[in-house]
Amino acid sequence: MVAQLLSVSALTKSFGAVQALRGVSLDLGKGEIRAICGENGAGKSTLVKLLMGLYAPDSGTVSIDGAAVRIEGPQHAHRLGLALVAQELSLAPHLSVLDNIWLGSEDVPLFHRRGDLRRRAAEALEKLDAGFDLDEPVSRLKVGQRQLVEIARLLTRDSRILILDEPTATLSDVEIARLFSVLRSLRAEGRSVIYITHRLGEVFEICDSVTVLRNGEHISTNPVSAITRDALIGDMLGRSFAEIYPPKRPAEHEGVLTVDGLHIPGTVERLSFTAPRGKITALAGQIGSGATEVARAIAGLVHDATGTLSLGGRPVPLGSAHASRRAGIMFVSEDRAVDGLFHRNVLENLVASDVGRYTQSGLLSFPRMRAGAEKRAELVGVDKSRLAANAFDLSGGNQQKVLFGRVSGASEPGVLVMNEPTRGVDIGARADIYALMRDFCRQGYALLMTSSDLEEVVGMADIVITLYRGQMIGRYEGAAIDIAAILSDITHPVSPSERAA
Amino acid sequence: MTALARGLAAPRNRPYLFLAGTVLLLIVLDWNGGRFLTSATAFSVLQTFATLGPAALGLGMTMLVREFDLSIAGVFGLAGCVAVLTGGESAWLGLVLGVMTGAAFGLVQGLIITSLGLPSIAVTLGGLLIAVGMAFVLTESQSLVYGNMDLALALNERIATVFSPRSLIAAAIFVVAAIVVGFTRIGRDMVALGSDRRSAETVGLNVKTILIGTFICSGALAAGSGALLSYSLTSAAPSGLSDVLVPAAAAAILGGVSLSGGTGTPAGIAAGVLTLAVMRAGLNAIGAPPYAHDLAMGAILLAVAVLDAPRLGQSVGRLLNRP
Amino acid sequence: MSRQAFALNQLTAVAWLRLLFVAALAAAVALTPGFLSAPSLLTLLTTVSFVGCVAVGMTFITLSGNIMSFSLGATVAACAVTFVTVLNAAGVVAGIVAALAVGGLLSGVQGAIIGGLRANPIIVSIAALALIHGGLNFITGNATVNANPGAGHEILRGKLFGLPVEFLALLILVVVGQVILSRTTFGRHIYFVGSGVRAAEAVGLRVGRVVTGAYVCAGLFSAVAGVLLGLRYNQANMEYGIGYDYDAIAAILVGGTAIQGGHGSAIRTFAGVIFIATIQVLLLLHGFRQEWQYLIAGVIVLLVVMLQTAGRRRV
Repeated sequence: MVAQLLSVSALTKSFGAVQALRGVSLDLGKGEIRAICGENGAGKSTLVKLLMGLYAPDSGTVSIDGAAVRIEGPQHAHRLGLALVAQELSLAPHLSVLDNIWLGSEDVPLFHRRGDLRRRAAEALEKLDAGFDLDEPVSRLKVGQRQLVEIARLLTRDSRILILDEPTATLSDVEIARLFSVLRSLRAEGRSVIYITHRLGEVFEICDSVTVLRNGEHISTNPVSAITRDALIGDMLGRSFAEIYPPKRPAEHEGVLTVDGLHIPGTVERLSFTAPRGKITALAGQIGSGATEVARAIAGLVHDATGTLSLGGRPVPLGSAHASRRAGIMFVSEDRAVDGLFHRNVLENLVASDVGRYTQSGLLSFPRMRAGAEKRAELVGVDKSRLAANAFDLSGGNQQKVLFGRVSGASEPGVLVMNEPTRGVDIGARADIYALMRDFCRQGYALLMTSSDLEEVVGMADIVITLYRGQMIGRYEGAAIDIAAILSDITHPVSPSERAA
Repeated sequence: MTALARGLAAPRNRPYLFLAGTVLLLIVLDWNGGRFLTSATAFSVLQTFATLGPAALGLGMTMLVREFDLSIAGVFGLAGCVAVLTGGESAWLGLVLGVMTGAAFGLVQGLIITSLGLPSIAVTLGGLLIAVGMAFVLTESQSLVYGNMDLALALNERIATVFSPRSLIAAAIFVVAAIVVGFTRIGRDMVALGSDRRSAETVGLNVKTILIGTFICSGALAAGSGALLSYSLTSAAPSGLSDVLVPAAAAAILGGVSLSGGTGTPAGIAAGVLTLAVMRAGLNAIGAPPYAHDLAMGAILLAVAVLDAPRLGQSVGRLLNRP
Repeated sequence: MSRQAFALNQLTAVAWLRLLFVAALAAAVALTPGFLSAPSLLTLLTTVSFVGCVAVGMTFITLSGNIMSFSLGATVAACAVTFVTVLNAAGVVAGIVAALAVGGLLSGVQGAIIGGLRANPIIVSIAALALIHGGLNFITGNATVNANPGAGHEILRGKLFGLPVEFLALLILVVVGQVILSRTTFGRHIYFVGSGVRAAEAVGLRVGRVVTGAYVCAGLFSAVAGVLLGLRYNQANMEYGIGYDYDAIAAILVGGTAIQGGHGSAIRTFAGVIFIATIQVLLLLHGFRQEWQYLIAGVIVLLVVMLQTAGRRRV
């Protein structure tokens, strides 16, 4: 039997109590584009980090061309022919495009500005039809362009196994098409690609085969022609996706969050919409559509946002998180490690937004704080015994629940703005969080969410507003919500005239 | 025209603007002329450059990689004491031992910082206190006299009216540093480290080696500078938490180095050091009172801090929009 | 052993080590002839109080995530000069009020720039150091201001309940500082800002005000040190307070406050101050000369910092 290009056998890796990979095995042949699909926490990024030598496996083997290897670090991985474009880009913003392309490569001599290195970098950029200057500092490039720089880095390494983790997240359609043609030509050269993505459409468009991981285990590997989209989703979720979404029973409440003419320079143009109380309104769009920025602007975190915002008729000033908070607008961030959780214990994280409440004769009262935290913990399903733990030691799902617990203490229902409410949250906790969201609705909150997970949008939202490059494309309500139409809006919007025809 | 203006105002070029501005300002202040633009002033400037330059360069390099070497002030003084104590027979021996002391401090601190993942400010604070302490212990709290008067004179001998061996050595050090940082892979990796540490690790850069090397350099540079200064003054004193740290940090910052890493060049740092030196020598030359230098330096630093502040635009915008 | 269990074991190991240190220290103190004798103890308490006030004040700055300040020592000098000058002109109370106002203002302005504009705290404090030093030089001409005898300040000197007034003042400041930090909303906000400034902003905290408040506290506490110095020596000049910033941050670190901010307390800083001072006096009494002070302090700081992170990974 011909030795596979890459072979992984019974790979296992744990981090403390969390088992990220359990006995995963797979084979990758030459000239094959393999998709790896799985929910957040399925083990995809751990697998990638093991392949690139950033971690060492607890047990199991990795073989290249049939020979077992122990990958000792990123540069060793490069020598073995592996290369990675990660979701989190590894670029140094202060360095030029040229320097970043050659960063970390062992081929670079001491006096590193050699002509042929420059030429090869230029060729790689050419293949991707990326128009920018080799000497431009990366900090001046937009996110999509930065991703192209990382991909160019891959191309200069002459690698045989390219790993791409969500490579199209920030690319325009034109750039995606170019990337795909580059991948096809690489495949023709006998190189292989591991393509990690959430976008099932791309799996069927460019990949030859697809592996599904779930909860750290290998579930299935099939040629793309032999599996259907629904079966794929079923493998990824482990159950039909409808089960985890609570029934939509939008409550009727008075009052509405009105956004009028919201303008964020460079990102969003004159956006207007309403989000009624008692319902979940979702802004659907890819990265670059402005959806997350709109949410942040409503939460008061975008300082140069202009326009009018009003809640129940009362105006809310933009540009101040304090003012938004006082008006009853609460925010759950998409990046909880950065602007969500504090490096303190769970109790304090739960009461962070209104510590001033728990005072007695002017001073903070610990018993009251504790009681308040316990109440919130119970509300959102966080174990009370974990109150003293460092918030960052909790699982992703519990961390997110803490953030929800934090916003649950308001005396009057207001607006809950959420970016990517279930990012990094495993399946079990997701159902809990969805139930929580419906709860908030029932109490009279207006929920505004953004999500790059269309299944989630369709499963949860009562109203869906689609965005593309900062402009509103369509609005769907209730039964009119259709995943295909939404997908089409956010990736290839049809102009109103075409639609009318 | 606006392209030129924009180019001039670029953060990269600011150090040279500051230098030019300071020189111009002093020419203006030197109303009747004749006191500032003299070779005596130039010599004084370059002597300060010789003393402060390498120390500022070393500190600046640690800031480039997003660390901070607080210990340079102590190492500066300690190396002077070591050089004087051991340089009785051979000045070279004393110098070498002094520099090695600095390098050793850098090595040990670098090892502690990288292997335990500790913040460099905390570790180098300990290093600073230890270095100062060692200087006190070695000298028994007394000023030491170095007998080699000839060496002292030779080190400060005027070359081409404005230079001296010390300032030429400092200039040579800057040239080497500029080549390493600007043209070699090491320099590029240092910028990468300071720019985004996590990315540097992911692409497989040898982060630990680069960091330790940077600290060794900063220790050695401060030490070399301190040793040569002691020789040229023929004395060394355990001066305690001396006055090298603040000027060195100020020079580095004026020179375009940012505390958040990734920016700064040896040439810029040289400009920063010269700006401070010109200010000091110039103010002296025109007879300004001693506090003028402090006030001027404080004002410039404050201006830099405010101009570089991330929320400056927002706050100004908010103030302007308020009815 | 799983990683969590290992970390837990290390944490307990650090706690045991701390206990061991303190026990060893107590034993050494008890066994050293002359330590507990009134004169040496009193000298220790007095000397420690000046830096101690600054250290407790700087704790606010460190906790808010702004690492340290290089200008508090100069602030002490400015406040001492202010106190003595106003004392001579208008009496004790006015002198104290003026000193507090100067301290709060000098530091508060820095806090506003750092908190409101998010300017770099190290650079701003270095700039402030230069400006305050230069300004003081300009105003006093490097001369010493003497307190007029009979200006009313003598009543604030000497001992109360057997303890030097300076030490009592420090104790009061430690209590006040601790209450502010742990029992007020403002104090809690300082911890939040220090442990996640962007999260604090997202939650709606007014970071600018919190940081300004922290710096104002640091300035006020440093002003107290200036007043105490003026009282003690009957005079003030711009050379006061030199080196205090380094001693203060050393005490803060030894006490266990994290230099990145968000964890620590005033009491910890107080413990750090006492710890360092005790060791220094012990060594003095055992025949080590004054020169060893800095060296010992440096070794302690290094050891403590290295041990602490054994139990707590740098995030």
